[in-house]
Amino acid sequence: MSAASLPAAAAPSPAERKRLLEDLLRVRRLQADAPPLRGEDRRLRPLATGLVEVDALLGGGFPRGALSEVHGPASSGRTGVLLALLARTTRCGALAALVDPLDRLDPASMAAAGADLGRLLWLRGPRGASEAPLPKALSEAMAAVGTLAGSGLFDVVALDLAGASHERRRLPTTTWLRLQRLVEGTATAVVLVAEEHAACGPGGATLALDPGAPRWSGPPGPARLLDALAARARAGRHAGRVAAFTLVAV
Amino acid sequence: MAQGDPRFTRVVSVFGGRHALRPLPEASALVSVARAFTPRVEASAPTPVLLDLSGLGRLWPTPQALGRALLDAAAARAIEAQAALAFSRAAALVLARARPGLTVVPAGGEAAALAPLPLEHLDIGAERLHLFRRWGLRTIGDLARLAPVSLAARFGPEGPRLARLARGEDDGIFVPASLPERFETTLELDWPVDGLEPLAFLLGRVLEPLCASLAARGVKAASLAVELGLADGSTHARALRPIAPSGEARTWRTLVLLDLEAHPPRDAIVRITARAEPSAARATQFSLLDPAQPSPERLAETMARLHAWTAEGRSGSPHLLDTHRPGAFAVSTFAPPPLPRGRREEPLPAPRVALRSFRPPRLAQVLVKGGTPAFVSAAGVRGAVAACAGPWRASGDWWDVAFSREEWDVALAPPPGRASAGIFRLFLDRLRGEWFVEGELD
Repeated sequence: MSAASLPAAAAPSPAERKRLLEDLLRVRRLQADAPPLRGEDRRLRPLATGLVEVDALLGGGFPRGALSEVHGPASSGRTGVLLALLARTTRCGALAALVDPLDRLDPASMAAAGADLGRLLWLRGPRGASEAPLPKALSEAMAAVGTLAGSGLFDVVALDLAGASHERRRLPTTTWLRLQRLVEGTATAVVLVAEEHAACGPGGATLALDPGAPRWSGPPGPARLLDALAARARAGRHAGRVAAFTLVAV
Repeated sequence: MAQGDPRFTRVVSVFGGRHALRPLPEASALVSVARAFTPRVEASAPTPVLLDLSGLGRLWPTPQALGRALLDAAAARAIEAQAALAFSRAAALVLARARPGLTVVPAGGEAAALAPLPLEHLDIGAERLHLFRRWGLRTIGDLARLAPVSLAARFGPEGPRLARLARGEDDGIFVPASLPERFETTLELDWPVDGLEPLAFLLGRVLEPLCASLAARGVKAASLAVELGLADGSTHARALRPIAPSGEARTWRTLVLLDLEAHPPRDAIVRITARAEPSAARATQFSLLDPAQPSPERLAETMARLHAWTAEGRSGSPHLLDTHRPGAFAVSTFAPPPLPRGRREEPLPAPRVALRSFRPPRLAQVLVKGGTPAFVSAAGVRGAVAACAGPWRASGDWWDVAFSREEWDVALAPPPGRASAGIFRLFLDRLRGEWFVEGELD
């Protein structure tokens, strides 16, 4: 067909142009990696970790406006899941905060997870806190979580209490209720990391992790490497749903 | 007087001059007198001072009245000055230097006013003045009568400039000096105030006019210095510098109160002075698709509330240092950068195992069998080694040729009924011959 025989292309009307723009925005919004649109109610979008199995288990990710928890014993992947969540949040352009009263974060691991470190606020415990956590440090950390969650600036406020079970039990039980009340109705997800079940709000998610056997790159010898860490996640207060996931080490 | 009176259009006055009879009391004295009449002042301290009098026709009946008021204001500050009002900067400069008292030149009368003056009053240099005298020129009018073409033939481009100068025509433009920016408010209290609650209201009375004056100038405050005069005669001074400039009185009040909570004054307050350091207002282009960026004011408030952490350097954004030394990082002030373009297109790496560091690394007793760790005992870490990987030698120090650090990843044997007892990173410091647990792999 020659160009002369083509019907003249009519300019789209304003209504048509508006519809096209809305379609474009809707498509963009549905993309998994797209950040939330300005003006969109961010409370509707859970915060994904990027671990497909874990996100599916949580119904899309950690819910906003609620207190959630990740708990499990040593080497069960608690920190890997948390860093994946923080990395994904900061890479979308949002802010995240990590309250770390025991000073256990390794910034190299955080960078390796792909986080935008400039968007992460890290509150560290006092020097030597990982040796012997102080009760005062824990109450300071709880006050800081309250301030951060109440500011509305951060999409994720994480509190890492793994390794401080004894001190955590000394906290009044109303601490968690106050925190849940504070975060309700906001776009912030408060995520608690602990060794065992500590607290979870009514709308929050509980992710219980069990360590699996580590995977090594080959037979024992000088060239051997830790290849991956397998773990099993159970979601829900009564751990009804289970999924296995793997964190790579190399 | 009607608005836009032609007698005041483009009037430039020169104030002061080499015939000032006494030295000026201070270099800026004449400038401050001039600024009482107009903000548009060009000054080569201490003299001459040029004033752009455009638009003052609404305030003064005649140029003579204005000129007389200028001289009277100078006399009130013990300055014996000379002034000239002219329609060109060049004519006003020469006439103010040459004639005592007040000289007012009508529009178009610059050349005639300058013509009888001796050539010495032109700023042309001694060598050129000597040459003109040899030519028989005595007055500025003599020079003005020479053909510019002839002057150009002898002096090049400088010739026509000299001719224009002799006719009182402008060669340069009026460049007003910017006003000194000083944003300061002081409140003297009738009776001493003790406690932060009543102070909050008083701070509002100090900070609101201060922020209003900042807003009128289109600037924000990058920092705020607060000086509290105390009942015992001393001064309690605090300086605040948030991560982003702010022009909101409410934000500054919160920041000041939070700071005073941490650093309270030792006595009741009798005077409050707030001084702001102005900074250009932030211009941000928001994006339709990117998440809303944090409000700098709210961020500053939040960081101020975390004073216990920020004061001890325990909060901020971590960043890695450019070194191979294990665990090397620094923590800088939390100031989220603008969103980089196209960053979200980069795929995220697969979720990884993370290290939970022990700071400092825990000293360990390690039993080695067959060259590999067989049993580990340290604070909070104890058990037989079920599997391990290593060793890798590492060091970030150029002087350490031996690569003194030997790293191992060890999985401890789980107790019955459990899949794992934890995987830990150990290292042997070969220089000290000691083992350490660096952290837990999680």
